[in-house]
Amino acid sequence: MNAIRALVLTDWKLLVRDRGALFLTFVLPPVFFAIFASIFGGMSGGDDGTFEPLRVVAIDADGTETSRAFLRALLEQEALVEAPLEAPAPTDLVGAASVVRRGDADAAVLVAKGFEASFARFWESPPRLEIVYDAANPISRFTLEGLAQASVFRAAPTALMDAGFDALEELGASTTPEQRDALDRLRVLIDGAREEGADAAADGDEPSGGAAMSSFVDVASVPATEYRAPGDGTDAASPGVVDYYAAAIGVMFLLFSMAGAAGSLLEEEERGTLERLLTSGIGLGPVLAGHFVFFALVGCAQLATMFAFGAVVFGMHLSDAQVVVGLLVVGATTAAAASAFALMLATACRTRAQLAGLSTVVILVMSALGGSMVPRFVMPAFMNSVSHFTFNGWALDGFQAVLWRRDPNGSMADLLGSVALPVAVLLLATVAFFVVARRLARRWETI
Amino acid sequence: MAATPALRVTGAAKRFGDREALAGVDLEVAPGEWLALLGPNGAGKTTLVRAVAGRVRLDAGSVALFGDEVGPLPRGDRSRLGVVPQEIALHPKLRARENLEHWGALLGVASGELGVRVGEALEWTGLADRADDLVASFSGGMKRRLNIACSLLHVPDVVLLDEPTVGVDPQSRARIWEMLAELRARGTAIVLTTHQLDEAQSVSDTIAILDHGRVIARGTLDDILRDTLGAGRGVELRIDGDVDAGAFGLEALGDGVYGARFTQLTTELPRLFERVAASGCTVVDVDVRRPSLQDAFIHLTGRELRE
Repeated sequence: MNAIRALVLTDWKLLVRDRGALFLTFVLPPVFFAIFASIFGGMSGGDDGTFEPLRVVAIDADGTETSRAFLRALLEQEALVEAPLEAPAPTDLVGAASVVRRGDADAAVLVAKGFEASFARFWESPPRLEIVYDAANPISRFTLEGLAQASVFRAAPTALMDAGFDALEELGASTTPEQRDALDRLRVLIDGAREEGADAAADGDEPSGGAAMSSFVDVASVPATEYRAPGDGTDAASPGVVDYYAAAIGVMFLLFSMAGAAGSLLEEEERGTLERLLTSGIGLGPVLAGHFVFFALVGCAQLATMFAFGAVVFGMHLSDAQVVVGLLVVGATTAAAASAFALMLATACRTRAQLAGLSTVVILVMSALGGSMVPRFVMPAFMNSVSHFTFNGWALDGFQAVLWRRDPNGSMADLLGSVALPVAVLLLATVAFFVVARRLARRWETI
Repeated sequence: MAATPALRVTGAAKRFGDREALAGVDLEVAPGEWLALLGPNGAGKTTLVRAVAGRVRLDAGSVALFGDEVGPLPRGDRSRLGVVPQEIALHPKLRARENLEHWGALLGVASGELGVRVGEALEWTGLADRADDLVASFSGGMKRRLNIACSLLHVPDVVLLDEPTVGVDPQSRARIWEMLAELRARGTAIVLTTHQLDEAQSVSDTIAILDHGRVIARGTLDDILRDTLGAGRGVELRIDGDVDAGAFGLEALGDGVYGARFTQLTTELPRLFERVAASGCTVVDVDVRRPSLQDAFIHLTGRELRE
C-alpha cells in the first residue's frame, strides 16, 4: 500500500512539474471542445446570428411579375442573402458562375425565360430554374434547391390562381363581377394561409420537398467549376467532398510530418552533430536553409502522393493541365510554408518531447479552425473569419481555387491569378516563419 | 629563427555573466607538438577549445593558426584545424562510410578526393570490414574511432581532441592511441583535453594546466614537477615499535605507516633509518615514490571538488 501511495505521489509531482503535460491534460480538451462547439453550435443555432447565410446571385431572365415574385420570395428566406457585389450584377449564368468561382457568392439562381408562361401549365413542361453552386460548398446546392421549391408556394398561390382564371377566360369562360369579388376575397385568404405557412416553415414544421413539389419548377443544378457557356462542348469533371478532404487532410498531415522531420534538428543538437556541423564552418543560416529545402521537397512529395492516391482510389480528376499546374504551384508553396513553420516550431523548443507536445497542440487547433477537420462551408461566419489566421485556411483557399473554383473556360493566367492571394500569403508566411526560426536558432550561434 | 607556432592564443579572456571563464590565457603549440590541456571541471578548458574552434567569441585576446589570426566563425581560415568533439557526433542511421563521406564533404574535401580519403580513414580506424554497417550497430570503441576519423578527413595540421578515450575499454583505448601515434608520425600538432592524467603523462610532449581561466603551469612533465614539487621525493615507511612521529618529522598515516618528504633523498633517508633504529624501532618497509602528474595537479589545483 505504501509503495502504491509513493508511486501515485511521485506521478502527481511529475505531472504538476510538467507544464506541457498539464496543458495537454487540462487545457487542450476544453479548447477543442470550445472550437467544435462553436463550429457545430453555429450550424444549428441559426437564430443567434452566428450562422452565415448563403450569398446568392439572382438573375431574372424572364422579367415577369411571376418571376419577380418568385425571386422576392426566395430572397426573403432567412438562410439566403443576396450576394453583395462590387461589380455590376451578372446578367447571365456565365457571369454568375464566374462570381461563384471567385468565391464572391455561394450560388447563383437564374429564372429562365418563359418561367411565367409555363407556370401553372401542368400539362406542359414546368417552369425552369438554373442553379450554379460552389462545388466546395455542396450544402449551398441543396439549400437553394429546397428553398426554391418552398418559394414557389410562398410566391405562386395567387399567380397560380390568376393563371388558372386567365386560362378560363382565354377559353371563353369570362368571369362575372361577383366571381371577381369572390376571387379577391379568396386571394386574401390564400395570402393569409401563405403567411402562416411561411411561419411554420420558419419553425421547421414544413415537410421537406419531394417529387410533387419539384413538379412545379424544374431545377437544373451544376457546380460552378463544371458550368460551361452554352455551345461549349468541352468536358469538365465535377469535384466533390473527396477533393476537399484530399487537400484538407493532406495539409494537416503535411504539418504533422514536417514537425516530425524538423525534430531532427533537435536530435542533431542532442547528438552533437549540430555542434560538429557548426564547428566545421557551416553557418546556422545554411544549416536551416538545407533543412528547409529538404523538408519542403518531402512535403511536395507527400502532397503529390496524397493527390495521386485520391485520383487512383477515389477518382479525383487531375488530368487537366491547369489543375496539375495549379496543384503544383499551391502544393509547392504550401509545402514550403509548412517546412518553415515546422522549423520555427523546432527552434522554439528545447527537446523533441517539447516539440511533439507543442506541434500537436498547434497543428490540431489550426486544423480545426482552418478547415482540415470540419469543412469551412459548415462553419459559422466568425469561425470562417478566424480560419484566415491559420496556415490551413490559406492553404485550403489555394487548393479550393484550383479544384473547385477554377473557371473551365479560363486561361492558365486566370487560374494563376485566382491562386495569387493565398500563394502570396503563404510565401510571406514562409519568409516570416523562416526569419523567426533563424532568430530562435540564435542560441546555437557562436557565443 | 623559431618556427611559427601551429597555435597561438594570446590574452584570451571571456566572461559569461558573472563568471570569468577565461582570464587572459596565453598558450603556444609548436608544429608537431602534443600538448595535454588539463584542468579541473570549470577551469576554462572547453571555453578555450571552443574559442580556438571559433565557436566562442573572445572578449579580449586573439587566436592564430600558423601565424594567421582567426576570429569567431566564419572569420579566418581554419582549413588546417581539426576539431574532434567529446560526444559521439555521428549519424547512427548512416553507415560508417556514409558518415565519413558526409563529414568529409562538409569539411571541404574535394569530391574527387573524398573516396580515397574515406578509404584511408576506414583502414586507419580498422573499420574497413564494417564500412557498410550502420553506426548504430557499432561498439563504443568503434564509434569513438570513427568519431575521430570524421574530423580529420581534411588532413589538418593541428587537431583539438576533447577526451578522445572517454568511456571505452582498455583495448579500444590502446587502439585509439595507436591511431593518434600515426598522426604524430605525420607531424600533426595535437591539443588534448583529458581527465586521464596517466594518459596525458604518457603520451604528451608538454602539459598545460588551466585553472580559474588561467594557465597555471606549462612545460614538460619534469618542468612542472620541478616547478611545483621541487626535486623532493615522497617516502612511505612501515615502522615496528612505538615511534615518536613528530620528533622524526613523520606524518602518521595509520597502521604503523608513516609518510615523509625529502629534498635530498640519498643523504636524508639513511640518517632517518639510523635515528629510528637508535630509538629502539625498526623500519620494516620503505616505498620511495616519484611524484606524478596527479601530485602536481592536486598540488596546483587543490583537493576541493569543482562542480
